[in-house]
Amino acid sequence: MTGMDPRLQAYLDGELQLEDLPVELRELAAGWDGLLDQFARSAPAGAPLGLDRRVMSGIRAERESTNRVPKWFAWAIRPRLIRVSPLAGLAVAAALMLAIVRPWSAGPTSLEEGSVAGQVYVQFLVEAGGAESVHLAGDFSEWQPTISLDDSDGDGIWSGRVPLEPGVHEYMFVIDGSEWVSDPNAAGSRDDGFGRRNSLLAVSSVSGT
Amino acid sequence: MRETEPRQRTDGELVRQALDGSEEAYAELVRRYQDLLYRHAERMAGSPDEAEDIVQLAFIKAYRNLATCQNPDHVGAWMYRITANACKDHLKSRRSDGVAIDDVPGLAGEDGDPERALEQLDLRSRIDSALRRLPVDQREAFVMKHVEGMSYQEMGELLGVSVPALKMRVHRAREDLQELLGEGTT
Repeated sequence: MTGMDPRLQAYLDGELQLEDLPVELRELAAGWDGLLDQFARSAPAGAPLGLDRRVMSGIRAERESTNRVPKWFAWAIRPRLIRVSPLAGLAVAAALMLAIVRPWSAGPTSLEEGSVAGQVYVQFLVEAGGAESVHLAGDFSEWQPTISLDDSDGDGIWSGRVPLEPGVHEYMFVIDGSEWVSDPNAAGSRDDGFGRRNSLLAVSSVSGT
Repeated sequence: MRETEPRQRTDGELVRQALDGSEEAYAELVRRYQDLLYRHAERMAGSPDEAEDIVQLAFIKAYRNLATCQNPDHVGAWMYRITANACKDHLKSRRSDGVAIDDVPGLAGEDGDPERALEQLDLRSRIDSALRRLPVDQREAFVMKHVEGMSYQEMGELLGVSVPALKMRVHRAREDLQELLGEGTT
């Protein structure tokens, strides 16, 4: 390791002024100033757009997965020693085998136009006359506004087709890269934790199952 | 009559509201501290993508453990410590690799001079590369001192490390960087 003059270290710690240094160290000190300035300026000014939204989406998902397990179920799955007669055991096993869990689904709110590998193409439409750009962000894009909508005919109606997995999705439109707006035509919405509401879209598979 | 602006809630108030179930209150805390935490993580990890992952996980971990925050009025410092530890864990678990030029932020079109941009790119790449070779504790202290502009006292309060020990880490980091970067620093 190469040692560094302690006076230079003291200068870089803010304990000495440049004029306190001997002349032979001043050029070196200026070199370090430039280097540290460059280093500080290379740091990002702030968090990327939408980071807060992605954090809250992750927290909400975690809360929902926790809430999905009711107390009685948590009690039921806790291992414990129980005594049961063979007949009652068989009855319980038969009941479990017959149980069918039917996933909840709602009707789609946007036009579906076919599917690829289990995904369904959904047409998103939003009116944003005068906008320079419109993007779509949702749980399907990790809340990154990376899906561009198109208004090539300039009528102010922006649209785009996006392949989505069946299920319930949350989304918003991002106007001109910064203004997050809900879909006024969405079938439903939920609080996004930021004073706005995420639009809800239920996508069912083409076969309707 | 001029309207009175709504009073900004304190960190302590937001923590208590979040603990009472208000997502909006925690979202406000996230917005309040995300820039600080992201800057630290980005400089530590050297990659915007990794930094974002680290910060997201840190905020989620903080949310899970919010009830254990002993000083809600200084929840930002507590979150900073969680992020700093997450960065160190991440770096210790990651194999050493290079930094992609695309990952060096803030260069494109900075002053419109392509030659200068290239020089800056070269210097920043060298700095990033040299930083990656520093021991994690040295890198952490160097980033806090020279990116976040903290005093040794502030660093000590956040990390729970004595001022002389932190000074030593920063001094050693500079000496190592001097050796790694060579020209202009010796």
